[in-house]
Amino acid sequence: MLRQEINELLTQTGPGTPMGELFRQYWIPVLLADELDEPGGPPVRVKVLSERMIAFRDNDGQYGLIDEFCAHRGASLWFGNNEVGGLRCAYHGWKYDVTGQCVEVPSEPDNSTFCSKVKLTGYPLIKVGDVLWAHLGDPATRPDPPEFEWLTVPSDQTYTSKRWQECNWLQALEGGIDSSHVSWLHSGGLRNDPLFKGSKGNEYNLNDMRPFFEVVDSDGGLYVAVRRNAEEGNYYWRITPWVLPAFTMVPPRGDHPVHGHFWVPIDDENCWVFTFDYLPTRPLTEGELTAMREGHGVHNEYVPGTFRPLQNKDNDYMMNRDAQRRGDTFSGVKGIAMQDASLQESMGPIVDRTKERLVSADSGIIKARRKLVQAAQDLRDHGTTPPGVDTKHHRIRSVSIVLPKEESFLESCRDALVATPGVRQTTV
Amino acid sequence: MTAMTTRPTLLNSCAFAATAAEARFRINAKPQTPRSTRVVALDAGAAAVVRELVDHTWMGTRFLTFDASTAPPVDVAADGRLADIVLLSAEGPVQLSDELIDADFTMMIATANDGAVAATVIGRACVLRGIMTAGVVVGEGHQVDAAVNALRPHARVLLVTNDRNDVAGIMSAVGA
Repeated sequence: MLRQEINELLTQTGPGTPMGELFRQYWIPVLLADELDEPGGPPVRVKVLSERMIAFRDNDGQYGLIDEFCAHRGASLWFGNNEVGGLRCAYHGWKYDVTGQCVEVPSEPDNSTFCSKVKLTGYPLIKVGDVLWAHLGDPATRPDPPEFEWLTVPSDQTYTSKRWQECNWLQALEGGIDSSHVSWLHSGGLRNDPLFKGSKGNEYNLNDMRPFFEVVDSDGGLYVAVRRNAEEGNYYWRITPWVLPAFTMVPPRGDHPVHGHFWVPIDDENCWVFTFDYLPTRPLTEGELTAMREGHGVHNEYVPGTFRPLQNKDNDYMMNRDAQRRGDTFSGVKGIAMQDASLQESMGPIVDRTKERLVSADSGIIKARRKLVQAAQDLRDHGTTPPGVDTKHHRIRSVSIVLPKEESFLESCRDALVATPGVRQTTV
Repeated sequence: MTAMTTRPTLLNSCAFAATAAEARFRINAKPQTPRSTRVVALDAGAAAVVRELVDHTWMGTRFLTFDASTAPPVDVAADGRLADIVLLSAEGPVQLSDELIDADFTMMIATANDGAVAATVIGRACVLRGIMTAGVVVGEGHQVDAAVNALRPHARVLLVTNDRNDVAGIMSAVGA
């Protein structure tokens, strides 16, 4: 249970809020790179951290992320023409370059310098991996670009999708570090999903529904480790890293691609879920890519032309009671991503954490909240750079492993938890 | 009708983006740099209008007056050279050319055509420097036809009004 003011501190990420300022210390994913694939192509609306912006790529290929609304009379630049040298408002022709600097006001005389006095708020937008990242914070404290392994492997070894989730970012993130739900909610997926099924680890998951938890600090956040009984004298460990503010990885299963998420606040009642799959040492197969594009694994199907999941709250997530009764799915909702999203959205736009009844199995969530509050307060009160800004903190991996009962997962997995180029993931 | 078609308002649609609820997420940034404005009264009546403005709060706007009765004669049709004129500021006489050095907007106020010559000089000087010009003629009907005709070639925007408060209204609106 949290006090109301702490819940508000954790869940509000708009400009000027403590958690909003924390998020503004990091590069955060805002678009898939193929949304702005073509230089000179159409602009795209972006809303993150409760700020509305427009993204575009000029003819030189430079990316821009600027205030969505024209400085003249507040019309949306989404209707604008992406011309040589900038984005021109469709209303009266004011034109802006990728930094937000106005470069032309047609109603002014030919050699007028008035446009030099007009600048929209603009943020840097960079491509790292298959994702476009923005930094909405102070340029003086702009960190180095992200170095998560999913971004740095060759492009044929990685795949990223994104979806709109209609709830606050924190309850979505908390699903990413809440390993105890997997044996229940996703039990069907462990047996059937082409990107999950077949691993030995699944058997351990399904055979031990009462796991034990260990939560350990890492430099960038936490390791949330869950152990289940394996063969005599051994435990099956699944280790989930969380890096502040919103990066989580799922422990791998067999030779399946490794997946994870970046949970990005759109506003306080919506978030983007960037979902990736990658392999450190081999290309994704065509079959794996097809499965991801079709919405299997941690991906999903879409309402055509949008990033809204096909299964959404307006159609009760296409809930199938027969499938639930048969045990094909535990909740009646198809697909691991939508199983999570349906329940997280059902908690409400912003879950009221003053009414929770947490249990010890929620230790990862409890600790993550405490670390977020501490980081936000340290930043606000002392200007302390938070964990996860340093790119060394990005070079981590999730792990699944069977260890003798007497071994410490942290000692045994110290190397396995580090992203090392050319070294295969540690997986069962 | 399927469930999906009952809610076409998607996150990336205008129907969603243009709602009042979404308006609160507009970036709240005020314009940083005000216009650099010169307001020039072209005749005695206009000078009276301008005197009413000077006590308001403006963003660095400078108020100037052209007095045809005391200004040296100006040959506006001369050989292509740019003429200059003397204007009166709060600090005393100033040259138009000095006043326009860092200006980006000049508003000429007239109630009669006494300042036609000044309007020509100011208009040409502003064209040369890429300075936006506006003219406000304060008066009614045919009484101000001559003033309108004098300003028309030299003001990119011309307002004819019998409400002298329109001058302050325009200045406020454009950030003067």
